[in-house]
Amino acid sequence: MIRLFPRRRGDRIRWGVVLGLVLFAAVIPPLAGLNENLNPDTSSRFQIFLGTTALVLALWAISYNLMLGYTGMVSFAHAAYYGVGAYTVAVLFKNYHLPILVGLAAAPFAAAAIGLITGLVAQRAVRLYFSLLTLAISQLLFSIVFQWYDFTGGDNGISITLPDQLSDYTTLYYFTAAVVGICLLLMFILVRSPFGAALLSIRENRQRAAAIGINVRVYELAVYTVAALFAGVAGGLFVMYQQQAYPEMLYWTANAQPVVVSLLGGTTTFLGPAIGAFIYVVLDNSISKQFPYQFDIILGAIVLGVVLAVPGGISDVPSVFLRLRERFRRGEEAEEPPEESAGEAIRMFDVRKALASEAIQAEEVHSGQTLLRIEHVSRSFGGLRAVEDVSLEVKQGDRHAIIGPNGAGKSTLFNLITGQLKPSSGKVIFDGRDITGKPPHVIARTGIGRAFQITTIFPKLTVRQNLQYAMLAHGGYTVRPFGIANRMFSSQAQELAEAVGLGAWADLPAGQLSHGDQRAIEIAISLALGSKLVLLDEPTAGMSAYETDKAMELVRRLATERHLTLLFCEHDMSVVFSTARTVTVMYQGRVLTEGTPEQIRRNPDVQKVYLGELEQEELGA
Amino acid sequence: MTPGQLLLFAVGGLANAAYLFIVAAGLSLVFGALRVINMAHGSLYMVAAFVTVVIANQLGAGLGFWAGLLVAVAVAGAIGGIVEVLVLRRVYGREHLVQLLGTYAVSLIVAGGVRIVFGANYRTVVSPIPGHIDLGGYSYASYSLFMIAAAIVIAAGVWAMLYRTNLGRNIRAAVADPDLLNATGVNVTRLYTTVFVIGAGLAGLGGAVVAPSQAVGSSIDTDVLVLAFAISVIGGLGSIIGSAVGALIVGMVVSFGLVIPRTNPFALAFVFIIMTAVLIVRPRGLFGLPEN
Repeated sequence: MIRLFPRRRGDRIRWGVVLGLVLFAAVIPPLAGLNENLNPDTSSRFQIFLGTTALVLALWAISYNLMLGYTGMVSFAHAAYYGVGAYTVAVLFKNYHLPILVGLAAAPFAAAAIGLITGLVAQRAVRLYFSLLTLAISQLLFSIVFQWYDFTGGDNGISITLPDQLSDYTTLYYFTAAVVGICLLLMFILVRSPFGAALLSIRENRQRAAAIGINVRVYELAVYTVAALFAGVAGGLFVMYQQQAYPEMLYWTANAQPVVVSLLGGTTTFLGPAIGAFIYVVLDNSISKQFPYQFDIILGAIVLGVVLAVPGGISDVPSVFLRLRERFRRGEEAEEPPEESAGEAIRMFDVRKALASEAIQAEEVHSGQTLLRIEHVSRSFGGLRAVEDVSLEVKQGDRHAIIGPNGAGKSTLFNLITGQLKPSSGKVIFDGRDITGKPPHVIARTGIGRAFQITTIFPKLTVRQNLQYAMLAHGGYTVRPFGIANRMFSSQAQELAEAVGLGAWADLPAGQLSHGDQRAIEIAISLALGSKLVLLDEPTAGMSAYETDKAMELVRRLATERHLTLLFCEHDMSVVFSTARTVTVMYQGRVLTEGTPEQIRRNPDVQKVYLGELEQEELGA
Repeated sequence: MTPGQLLLFAVGGLANAAYLFIVAAGLSLVFGALRVINMAHGSLYMVAAFVTVVIANQLGAGLGFWAGLLVAVAVAGAIGGIVEVLVLRRVYGREHLVQLLGTYAVSLIVAGGVRIVFGANYRTVVSPIPGHIDLGGYSYASYSLFMIAAAIVIAAGVWAMLYRTNLGRNIRAAVADPDLLNATGVNVTRLYTTVFVIGAGLAGLGGAVVAPSQAVGSSIDTDVLVLAFAISVIGGLGSIIGSAVGALIVGMVVSFGLVIPRTNPFALAFVFIIMTAVLIVRPRGLFGLPEN
């Protein structure tokens, strides 16, 4: 059923703002005309021109924000793709005498092609080095455009004269508005699709994104290319209303515009940068004409203010206001939202619901067959042999614990299994497939879920989204650039959240929950992957005795009744002996012994290891 | 190319490498200890260049230049200290994105301030060490040779500071583990301010030293920043040896790039092609530290 009016108040406000912006954009030309009639010293042509500027800037900034706000990438090359779009239109029109609309149609593809090629290079590095590399790419493209006189006109740039049917300011304004509108709609569909969910996951936590099966680099390259594509459209439109393209458009400092506009409007909302673009154009026009140098200072102050004080930009001001009001009312610190989780989740673990949850796989397994086989795996860091010649088999349906003192190599071994580290030698075979040295996202997709020792979740996403996105990624849905991610797997995620006692907080950002509740999310994510094998790295770290019992009861029953195979490491011996059916003891990177809990309990060597009496030579090493 | 020409371009390359090393060493030192890329590094360089030129032209070329150099380094260091206390302290440990944008904002503010105070025109200053040395049919400015010598002295000074003083030992410890260093009773907050002031001072020294050899204008901040980044990426962030090697490579490429006809679209692009090539083979540069 299609609802005419959104049910929730927040949605109503949001769509109201969107409607207001669209109406405002539609009435700029008549308003400018009216203004000219009332104040003869103003020019409607100039104001319509400013309106066009704001539209193009909005498109450029929103395309930038696909990277900055949605994926968490800082690029200094975005202006270069904007410039490539501009030069595509100018060169095709001037040098090849093609119709201007052919140029405009070609611009996004030229920008995307160059974005893809240069993006492949930038992808060699991550984070800071990625940013620096984009800066080099930007300067490379700039210097080519600047020097290539025959083709780009060098430092003179290219000037064009528009054909008559587009030279009217009002017509050009509405044409631009239509193109920008279509582009924004496409980008909006993209960001709320499962593909957009993958981007948000990457922004929130690259390691977790990979561990739920997202190929981080491919998605980053994809969004980089898509952003370049829309920057190309914006650059093409720029040439049409400015009637020129010049090399400074590509210089890396030109990226200040989309950065400032995105921050000003807010990077966390889709249309925030559009509002930012409008404010920017007004500011630019009123201040920079009289005080060109002061304008830089104002831009700097805006960026600094947003970065240090209002991380959400203009569109976040209402929530800042709400927080202030809340604090005023309570008369005390009110940093936390009124609804607060109190670390109760684990006490409320609901095994019955967990067992009914569809999210957790229920495939029948053949107990006793080998699911994971580790053959002579070693890994050293410099001179330190963290894991040495470890061989180990995990049987289907087993609950297998790895124990050993600190530094025994347990976490390193887990990292070797799930691909965070590559073995120096040896083999890892899972479910008949050789997964040795494969990247984490590939291993996650083969059916290994993992809960990390240090809680690794998506802090700004809601609890439900944390689980939903894990399900989306595992199901391979995140390649879809359409559909609404937040409506997919919603009920399954809710069920799972209830099963781990987080039902009441499903709509809260995961990062606001208490430590124990975040552990519950961590475990739930590893279960949400429908994994055959679940790796739990000290699942109960930081939990009370009662919470530990509850958590392990859930894990144990899920394992038995839903045929999960568990591999976990744990310091708490009561947890190990109550949960595990097989125990492997590691000491100084090697396997010391393996057996049933009863055998391990009685093994004198193990007792010595834990009492710290075992000497190196006694190992026979 | 004759041996004489080769020497000419090589000395030009060394002179480029000299001032670029001074600037890049400051950037690298700050990154090594604070794990922050200072986008405002070029702005401090620009401020110092302007201060040097103004004072030298007021007081007369000889002594005036040296007085200007001292004041310029002090001004750059002082701005650095203010920036560290007011901005950087709030962004340590936050996402690198916030740090990039925060220091980027500072660079915009400083650039605007420089344009208001010093105007947009290019300024020049007479070299404090006039004269030429003739060799193999070409003449070499004495000042270029001074720049090369100065860079070597500064490299030795930075090395001695890092490996022969208490301060240097603390900086190296902070690179390895700031929390542990803090627990041993060292005031890490003050140490960070000190490192940032030294880094800013090096940017200022680079700007002061370069002033007599180039026209000083209000866009030299971004020009030098891009080259300093290229050096840091080639040599590896956080490594002083890396800065030296990177500066030599970039200085030589810029110098020998002049041989290529200006109409070639790739004439200015070589530095970035090399930078890209290095990163493809070694994503952290030749001598780079990992992030965090």
